[in-house]
Amino acid sequence: MASRCVGLLLLFQLLALNAVSHISAFPTPTAPSDDKTLYNRQLTEEKPLQEQMVEADSVKAAVQSAESRRPTAAKDTESQQDSDDLTVLKSLADSQKSQDSAMAPVKKDDQYIPDESDSTKSRRLAEDYDSTKTGMDDGKYQEDPESFRQVDGTMLTAEDIVQKIANKIYEEDDRGVFDRIVSKLLKLGLITDGQADTLEYQVAEALQDLITKNAKKNEIDDVESNDQEIRGEQDDQGSDVNLDTWEPPRRRYNDDEEDEAEDEDEIEDEVDRDVEEDGADAADGALDKDAAGGNEVSPEDGLQDLQYFPNFYRLLRSLNSEKDSQERETLITIMKTLIDFVKMMVKYGTITPEEGVSYLENLDAMIAMQTKNKLGKSLLPDFIGPNGKLLDEDDNTKAEAAKMQKEYENLKDSTKEEQPSSETNTPGKSEAYLEAIRKNIEWLKKHNKEEGKDDYDLSKLKDFMDQQVDSYIDKGIIARDEGDTIKRIYGSL
Amino acid sequence: MKLFLSMVFLGVAAVSLAHAAGTDGEISFEYHRYEELRKALVSVWLQCPTITRIYTIGESFEGREMLVLEMTDNPGTHEPGEPEFKYIANMHGNEAVGRELLIYLAQYLCNQYQQGNETIIDLVHNTRIHLMPSMNPDGFEKAASQVMSQHDTPGEIKDWFVGRSNAQGVDLNRNFPDLDRIIYVNEREGGANNHLLQNMKKAVDENTKLAPESKAVIHWIMDIPFVLSANLHGGDVVANYPYDETRTGSTHEYSASPDDVMFKSLARAYSIYNPVMSDQHRAPCRKTDDDTSFKEGITNGGAWYSVPGGMQDFNYLSSNCFEITLELSCDKFPSEDSLKLYWEQNRNSLVNYIEQVHRGVKGFVRDHQGNPISNATISVEGIDHDLTTAKDGDYWRLLAPGNFKVAASAPGYLTVIKKVAVAYSPATRVDFELESLMERKEEEREELMDWWKMMSETLNF
Repeated sequence: MASRCVGLLLLFQLLALNAVSHISAFPTPTAPSDDKTLYNRQLTEEKPLQEQMVEADSVKAAVQSAESRRPTAAKDTESQQDSDDLTVLKSLADSQKSQDSAMAPVKKDDQYIPDESDSTKSRRLAEDYDSTKTGMDDGKYQEDPESFRQVDGTMLTAEDIVQKIANKIYEEDDRGVFDRIVSKLLKLGLITDGQADTLEYQVAEALQDLITKNAKKNEIDDVESNDQEIRGEQDDQGSDVNLDTWEPPRRRYNDDEEDEAEDEDEIEDEVDRDVEEDGADAADGALDKDAAGGNEVSPEDGLQDLQYFPNFYRLLRSLNSEKDSQERETLITIMKTLIDFVKMMVKYGTITPEEGVSYLENLDAMIAMQTKNKLGKSLLPDFIGPNGKLLDEDDNTKAEAAKMQKEYENLKDSTKEEQPSSETNTPGKSEAYLEAIRKNIEWLKKHNKEEGKDDYDLSKLKDFMDQQVDSYIDKGIIARDEGDTIKRIYGSL
Repeated sequence: MKLFLSMVFLGVAAVSLAHAAGTDGEISFEYHRYEELRKALVSVWLQCPTITRIYTIGESFEGREMLVLEMTDNPGTHEPGEPEFKYIANMHGNEAVGRELLIYLAQYLCNQYQQGNETIIDLVHNTRIHLMPSMNPDGFEKAASQVMSQHDTPGEIKDWFVGRSNAQGVDLNRNFPDLDRIIYVNEREGGANNHLLQNMKKAVDENTKLAPESKAVIHWIMDIPFVLSANLHGGDVVANYPYDETRTGSTHEYSASPDDVMFKSLARAYSIYNPVMSDQHRAPCRKTDDDTSFKEGITNGGAWYSVPGGMQDFNYLSSNCFEITLELSCDKFPSEDSLKLYWEQNRNSLVNYIEQVHRGVKGFVRDHQGNPISNATISVEGIDHDLTTAKDGDYWRLLAPGNFKVAASAPGYLTVIKKVAVAYSPATRVDFELESLMERKEEEREELMDWWKMMSETLNF
């Protein structure tokens, strides 16, 4: 479905960045002597691609764990390196083994499908932990060494560990698992306090996903029986009871977090709750849903987030048949992740709250538009809603997407913390453009004077530039608003 | 006293401002992420719209445009007889210096052009220069995020690999079709000595192993008749020339191409202006590096280490373009405050290397009616590497100084050979007019007729 594609695209962009942020969870302590030999090998001789890649992995494994040190001899065999990987992961697994539940076979983590670009794959892995591993992926990876295997092993392993921990917690329904693991990691000096917090957040997130997924899995079986309850008027009491059982576990996990985090998680809870309310296939028991159309904005929850997503919820509602439940679920997860992501960015100060809000607003508007364009169904009987711009954007599908893409790029770029944010802000950009145009005009004046020509023809230049700007916008070289800025500057000359 | 103090203060403030973000007049030396890269190129275009143009050759795997800024007197078209030149950087996303240098170069050329720098003006008017700061923008974003997030651990471990390959994990400089193997076979058993990629479009479009970035570059190479090129990398400091893959398959072996003499000259033309590269007594980047193959800042690719499937050799063996590989920094992703220094080390080399495109022989191949003959073969006696003429019949054959016999041939035409004395620079103009076989037959027939007529008149047939 188109909206899913859209959502997936966003999620993929998101996860690309998310995955990047995973790196910060596991820093690489210096191991100078080891690294030197590695660097040398890279330059002085060409190794078979396979060996290079495996070696790259072991570099990561080596610097990640305090325990395993690679032998300095540069002639390690592949099997040795593999077993080093195993050792690292096993040692981590062992730390959890003492909590007397056997981990899923560690070996499979080595051959984690390295395709980060497909977000749905990485999401599904959580479920794979509960099912028998087929080993199919092993074969695929080993047979084709030149396939698209990522050399940056760091990200994959970190995410694995997050998933594993989340899994453990879920299975044992005990937050203490996390505390134990983290304190061990801290003691071993593998992570700092800051990273422990980040890890906690990530685990909470992964856990949340796990819960949602498993809940949904169970729900689908109960569709029939719950049909009546979800369609009719709801029983608030029932809802509260159910929610209560969800809230305490979540609140417990979040005890140690800073205040801001706590606020966010509360909002998160509420988002969860509301999202679950929207789930057509309600959880066991009677999860409620405000079917009366007050869903668009749910004032009783006091959620400021939701009022930004009227279109999204309308879309969800339009997918309320059984066969769409899968997509619905995916959409919800995607949306939740996006919201969480934006919140995290705001929390860490990478973007201002206003930027985050405007990003989400644009997202919602785009959902409406894409739904209308791609699915051919409109989400609103009237187009005026809170997003007044809907009407204006009818002809600018691409521009909106490009704009959103650009905004997202802006958000991504603003993770550069040492740079003043003016680099990526529109005022900064138009200043630079203004400066450039000014230089051009000056040069033209001087040039024509020197050559004794008449004064350059400003209107011809302006027309030419307008034309060029338009063609650049079409090709995706500049964004529409940048193009407008440029035209405006020329117009004002 | 107060005045003095305030003057001192102003002076200090001015000095500190100048050093604040390492500026050099108009260039600001900092790293550019994708958006900033785009903005920088657009600014250059806005400043010099009559001599520049931005275009994109395609999208990376994650959808970023592969932007190129072209600089010439009539941007957007190939002018007959005007050689095409390209710089490509950052094909390994974590090798960041080249990317930045090309952005600074674009700004520099535009500024210098407007300030009346004769050399630059001539160069821009007589060459079509294409600058692609980043062939792997996805990899760069990965590498840059990694580096940026390291700022809290001052021990700066930069991963040697993160961001090197494209978003699919493909090392783009091993991803090109390996034509070296074919040429080595042809050397032994006979066969074509250039343009080895048969059924070009088909082979490329149906090749599932090619990353989108590689595909885009291959199409680009096929579309534009590039003459000279360089491929910017990091991790060492040297100018590397073909062949990159060893003949016997061993890890180190000098593997000379037919144009070995010319390539050495080209590589030296770059290294000579780079004080670090040309320093004979420079310590290797890492103590354990083996740089025995480096001489005067240049090295043969195979002698250094064998690289199969690289872009450099692909250029040479599939098209008329001569490409070398420039390694510009020991550190693949150095700190931002060193960028100004790298610019200063490389600025003159970068410009001088572009000027090398105006060497050897060049000209047009036409028929007797003045129509251009495209795809005619230009061969040089003694160099087993032929070139072809472009759509307007124009060709550029890079040659080191010396005496040569240059032949132009085309199917259905009679070959013409000319002797040429080639100086270091500028290029010697040699045009060919080919007589088609039909014309020759016609001539012969007419001669025959004339003779017959004469005979019959004399003998009273």
